[in-house]
Amino acid sequence: MDIIKDILNLFGLEGKLFIAQIINFAILLFILKKFLYEPIAKMMEERKSKIKQGLDDAENAKKALIEADNQKILILKEAKVDADKILENTKKSSESLKQKSSEDAKKQAAEIVDNAKKQAQDEFVKASKQVGSMSVDLSKKIVSKILSELFTEQDKTAILSKAVEKIENGGYEKTTN
Amino acid sequence: MTLAPSILFHIGSFPVTNTLFTTVVVDVIIIALVIAFNKTLSLYPKGVQNILEMVYEYFYSATKEVSSKVDIIYPWVTTFFIFIVISNVLGQFPGFETIRFHAAGSGEEGVPLFRTATSDLNVTLAFAVISIFMCHLYSVKYTGVKGYIGRFLNFKMFPIFLFVGLLEFIGEFTKVISLSCRLFGNLFAGESVMGTISSMSIWGIPLPFFCVPIPFMMLELMVAVIQAIVFAMLTMAFMSIMVEKH
Repeated sequence: MDIIKDILNLFGLEGKLFIAQIINFAILLFILKKFLYEPIAKMMEERKSKIKQGLDDAENAKKALIEADNQKILILKEAKVDADKILENTKKSSESLKQKSSEDAKKQAAEIVDNAKKQAQDEFVKASKQVGSMSVDLSKKIVSKILSELFTEQDKTAILSKAVEKIENGGYEKTTN
Repeated sequence: MTLAPSILFHIGSFPVTNTLFTTVVVDVIIIALVIAFNKTLSLYPKGVQNILEMVYEYFYSATKEVSSKVDIIYPWVTTFFIFIVISNVLGQFPGFETIRFHAAGSGEEGVPLFRTATSDLNVTLAFAVISIFMCHLYSVKYTGVKGYIGRFLNFKMFPIFLFVGLLEFIGEFTKVISLSCRLFGNLFAGESVMGTISSMSIWGIPLPFFCVPIPFMMLELMVAVIQAIVFAMLTMAFMSIMVEKH
């Protein structure tokens, strides 16, 4: 037993110091557990979840972007088809409008021309009638003047009436020539 | 340098040794680190938080690899590491061994005020006993009394496993001795070497003048970290073996 005691003394082993170290370690363990490990674990968990969320968000954003891109292409395609259709329709309608309007114009022009022709004819008829009556008056005057110098009042009236009759019947020019 | 720590003074009948004094210094450093950590705690780690998170992560993941009871084991392992590594590295600072304290009956030269805490067998033995005691406590808790006794008293293939059990039983004591003496021996030897090298001289010129202690210092720094990791890892291994069913 003396040897053991000697060894203990040589290494300075002492119960009080030994127990003090155990208590010291226990206190340290408690402090570290409470104020270091737990906060670190909590913080790391929080960080982990945040990073995960961030990555998920990025992934979702990427997906959304691709989807949006696809949709954009689709919409553009549809729009192009629509635009082509509209353009074609417009072309068609404009062509038909053009045709219609030119037809209308032609018709209208023909009408105008017809009207003008009719009017001109009417004018001509009217004018020729007027000219006819004017020539009869003039002839009456000329004949009465000439006849008054050559014939008696009686003959004059007979001839005049005869001549007037002839003129009125259109045979005036033949008899005079 | 003596194997036993030097007594600085007594509080009542309680002897305050220089290693106990250094232990308190290490405690203060650790608590200061914890306070600094809690003050700057944020999602975006910086400074102290980075280092402590690294240490935590290292031991947590290492424990997770070998045991399913990671939440029970890692606080012990990490605490052992943090205390031992700070204590060991602190021992390489100037002032250790050189700052003297005039204790009662210490003579003209006095005794060193600081001495690496882990170069005291009281400290290393206390740690080893805690480590192995907790192993056994957890073994009883998680494998049951029957499982725990069956580890040492086994009548399968009589008498082979009985003998194996006996060896296991003896092994538990050697574990305590090997854990404590390994750490104590390494640190005490390191301090002795440093003391010897620093106090030697050639032609009247002290060796530190020729930068001779520098390689030894580097070696000591390596030993300081390695021994801390060894102690922590062995504790982890013992605990993970003991909490699993035999």
